[in-house]
Amino acid sequence: MTYAETGSIGDALLRSGVSRRVLLEFAGKLMVAAPAGLALAAQWSPEAVAEEIAKARRPSVIWLHFQDCTGCTETLLRASKPDLGDLILNLISLDYHETVMAASGKQAEAALRDAMTQNAGKYICVVEGSIPTKDQGIYMKLAGRPALEVLADVAGKAAAVIAIGSCASWGGVPSAGINPTGAVGVDALLKDKPIVNVPGCPPNPYTFLGVVLQYATAGTLPALDAEKRPLFAFDRYIHDHCPRRAHFDAGRFARQFGDEGHRHGYCLYPLGCKGPITHAGCSTRHFNELPEVWPIGIGAPCVGCTERNVAFKIPIFETSAVPAPTPSAQYPEIRPETGTVSAVATGIVGAVVGALAGAAYVASKRFSKVAGDEAVPGAPAGDGGKGGKGV
Amino acid sequence: MILLSRRHLLRTVGTGLSTAAVGGAAAVAAAPAALAAPRTAPADAVGMLYDTTKCIGCKACVAECAKVNDLVPDTELSGGLWQMPADLNTQTKNIIKLWADPATGQTSFVKRQCMHCVDPACVSGCPFNALQKGALGIVGWDGARCIGCRYCEVSCPFEIPKFEWKKFNPKIVKCELCRHVLDRDGQPGCTRVCPTGAVVFGRRTDLLADAKARVAAHPGTYHLDHVYGETEAGGTQVLYLSHVPFEKLGLPALPDRSVPTGLRHGGVALKLIALPVVLYGVFLGFFRRNWKVHEEEAARLKAEKGLEEQL
Amino acid sequence: MARPASRATPLGVPLGVPLGAPLGVPLAPPHASVIHRWQRGVSVREVPLVTPWFLLFAGFFVVGTAIAAFRLFGGSLASFAAMTDVYAWGVWKTFNVMALTALGSSALAVGLAAWVLGRHRLHSVMRTALVTSFLFYTTALLGLLTDVGRPWNFWNLRLPWRWNTESALWEVALAMPVYCALFLLYENGPMVVEKLWNARSDRVRGWVRTWHPRIRKTYPFVVPFAYVLPIIHQSSLGGLMVLAGHKVHPLWQTDLLPLLYLVQALICGFGSVIVVLMTSCLVWRRPLDVKVLGELANLMSWTTLGWLVLRLGDVVVRGRVGDALAMDAFGVLFLAETAAVAVPALVLRSAHLRETPRALYTMALLACLGGIAYRFIPTTLAYAPGAGSTYFPAVPEIVITLGLVATVVGAFSLVVKRFAVLPAPLESWHHAVEHDSHAHPSHRSDAHGHAVHD
Repeated sequence: MTYAETGSIGDALLRSGVSRRVLLEFAGKLMVAAPAGLALAAQWSPEAVAEEIAKARRPSVIWLHFQDCTGCTETLLRASKPDLGDLILNLISLDYHETVMAASGKQAEAALRDAMTQNAGKYICVVEGSIPTKDQGIYMKLAGRPALEVLADVAGKAAAVIAIGSCASWGGVPSAGINPTGAVGVDALLKDKPIVNVPGCPPNPYTFLGVVLQYATAGTLPALDAEKRPLFAFDRYIHDHCPRRAHFDAGRFARQFGDEGHRHGYCLYPLGCKGPITHAGCSTRHFNELPEVWPIGIGAPCVGCTERNVAFKIPIFETSAVPAPTPSAQYPEIRPETGTVSAVATGIVGAVVGALAGAAYVASKRFSKVAGDEAVPGAPAGDGGKGGKGV
Repeated sequence: MILLSRRHLLRTVGTGLSTAAVGGAAAVAAAPAALAAPRTAPADAVGMLYDTTKCIGCKACVAECAKVNDLVPDTELSGGLWQMPADLNTQTKNIIKLWADPATGQTSFVKRQCMHCVDPACVSGCPFNALQKGALGIVGWDGARCIGCRYCEVSCPFEIPKFEWKKFNPKIVKCELCRHVLDRDGQPGCTRVCPTGAVVFGRRTDLLADAKARVAAHPGTYHLDHVYGETEAGGTQVLYLSHVPFEKLGLPALPDRSVPTGLRHGGVALKLIALPVVLYGVFLGFFRRNWKVHEEEAARLKAEKGLEEQL
Repeated sequence: MARPASRATPLGVPLGVPLGAPLGVPLAPPHASVIHRWQRGVSVREVPLVTPWFLLFAGFFVVGTAIAAFRLFGGSLASFAAMTDVYAWGVWKTFNVMALTALGSSALAVGLAAWVLGRHRLHSVMRTALVTSFLFYTTALLGLLTDVGRPWNFWNLRLPWRWNTESALWEVALAMPVYCALFLLYENGPMVVEKLWNARSDRVRGWVRTWHPRIRKTYPFVVPFAYVLPIIHQSSLGGLMVLAGHKVHPLWQTDLLPLLYLVQALICGFGSVIVVLMTSCLVWRRPLDVKVLGELANLMSWTTLGWLVLRLGDVVVRGRVGDALAMDAFGVLFLAETAAVAVPALVLRSAHLRETPRALYTMALLACLGGIAYRFIPTTLAYAPGAGSTYFPAVPEIVITLGLVATVVGAFSLVVKRFAVLPAPLESWHHAVEHDSHAHPSHRSDAHGHAVHD
């Protein structure tokens, strides 16, 4: 039996006996995972989001595995609230998935062909794993066909392609080093299909689900960056949203694994953390549905798994550059202003100077304008003034 | 009236002059003018090299400096929460400042502290050698000699020394390259904790060579391919490499001539011994001539009017 | 008194090259008999010692001292001064020391003119110059004492191995107190001795009779020191700002600062003694002597012209004419200061105006103003331009400064009433003697009114 039943997600949930509370919980988690940039989650409340989801038709998803480790599937499987069976398989119609489907062999191939035929042009093709291109792509074959061919075939009839994981996004681990198989990501091969890259090794499951449900509810894909990554999850560097950023700013570092700084949870920059140059949302959306379960949170420096120029290229323990697009306002200026001018003091000086100038003027008037006049100054006409009283 | 014979005159003047000369020479010779100014960096001069392209503004150096030097961190601006000095001050011997150009978005950090000049203006001006260029060329302050005149603040072209205005017993506070722990740690606190190696410690000669190597290896990276401090104000032991113009970072454009050179025309012996002696001799000569006239006047005054002279 | 005949000349002019000839300045006739007005110093008797004005000045002195004393007993400089690390020198070192000691250089200026250049006419005003100098210097040193942050280390002055002979401030710190406490005091000695001589006590007179000739013998040998020392430290005051380097605006910063400050001290010395003399005559109703005043003005004018050549020449040679004419704050300040110095010099080239009291007074005032402006500006107004910081003295600072200046005025008025300082005609001397003998009948006077001694 295939899962390719049409109908709304709400109906599917009802049929499976999944309680509304589970859906609400999921809706809440989705809102946290995508606080901005995902239209579906930009509702007033989890109830509103849940209603949106329930109304949508279950999208048909065909999931392809190529050169992968199945980690990206695992990340979906690790979700337990809701778990894969309860919710995820009701949110999407997972028509072909080599890891979880019951069928194998010829039945699996038949399932793939059926899914493609019945939902042609409407299904979402999810790609996990990179595609080898060297030597006509013989290094990964599915049912005797090279991955290149399978991709072109399946993705060619899809409505949209989601490349889940770094391998599918840009090549990932198989492309490291000399890249012996010529592994590349999906967008290097498909040029005329809407592609969303969700890199990460593995990525956060809610990011993936958010993209899929956005498509299911609104038929659109979320806003993407230049690397086709959804902005709602990949717009910031880890460094700019890291809980340990204050330690970085204050110069408190863990310099060796297990040292005092490490135990105190200080910044892992000297241990090679690539947070400053890695776009990802891991610092706010943690893994395994437990808070602080993410690499830096457990004391392991970020390796930059989402970035094609960082992961498996820059050595893990090599310190990264730190681009500072908006440095903190807490740095002192080059020339701070100092000094206060007291108004009272200015007034006093002004008064004194004025008084002296006035006195000088008055005194000068007492002196004669006649050359050679040696009479006592100010003497004539009985003007008392200063002279009379004396000092 | 006093009438001096020529012999008497010569003897008196001669004694006076030679006493003055000997006394002056003794005083000046005893005073350590040599302490005032070495003109070239000592062979073992140490310093720091700071590279703005490597600084990430983490301020670990600021925090560590306060720790090593037993300074109470300046938390005034943050309301007592974080060390947040607005500038070098009596609690902050080392600081990271930020320059940003809002128009282009270009930024740079800069680390400021004492430059440990090769021929320091502060050392030249300090009346009692409280500031001295000591071992390894480090400029240090000695409280037993300081009178708190703040001439060092006036003369420093980089405006580094800070004075404890608010204290009854005020000190002059500035970076001294952690000379009190150099033996123990081998380097100052700031260079020890810098995570990127933006500031490094070493012999000035080595640092200069390193700086020039970096300039050569990365053409177009460093502003004017220039190492600031190589020749500025006679050379400084703290050197800077920057990707933005130095003036923007608060490092002034200074001539190669060291600041105290302007006062050294002629030298101490000339100014304090030869010139006074010559002047004295000249004045004495003229004075004595006019003294004679004065004596005649006084005599006449006494004879004609019975009045004493008024000197 | 016998004198080798070969040494005498009809006019009594000293032998040798006419002193003033190389300067192109006409020689002043040396004989006191040519002076017809100011003949000798006479104390002011017509006015009581303590007057309301004196009380005002004394009040300033007391308040200023109280504030300054607070510092010595547990205060800090910040509590009564607005100085910051950018403007580390406030108003005492810069105004009281660098500016006001220029006004206090009248002892140097008049002394050089009278004793070295042979302007014997100026002897009558010598004492006024000496008293003024002493008071300005003393208050400057008091200001300096208030200003230093660690005054207990001043004993380093007595340890020559701790001296930094390259430091201009060391020169000032050593030479100024020595000059003031030794030489100025010495030079002011004769008027004290004169008063002691007229004392009632025979024992005092005996002391004077023993020591006065001995002291007098040393006079020609000690006094030249009193010219060498201020030459050294007045030029060192200029040297102080040389070390400020680029922080002083280029219109003022030059290696020539020591020489310029020194010559300006001479100018202000002449100017201040003219102002003091004329104001004293106005206040205590004394007649003027335009010949003496005119001579002082003449000397001041020539010195100023020489100074202007140095100053303006220096600006031109260093290529700063553009800055001078820039019409920004500093350019205007430079022009104003130069005008304040130049206008008196040019106006007083006129012999007619040199003997016109009002012209003398106003021009001398202007010259003093321009002079102290020149010495003050590089320390504060033209210092650290563009630093983004400001400085203006705090109220206590101003009060202390006013107190110091008031001390000069008040003390001066006391001194001139009790010692024969201010010059007056001979008749005044006789009046004073009569007044004295009426006040102290036990005095024995001879026919000339001079106290009789055995």
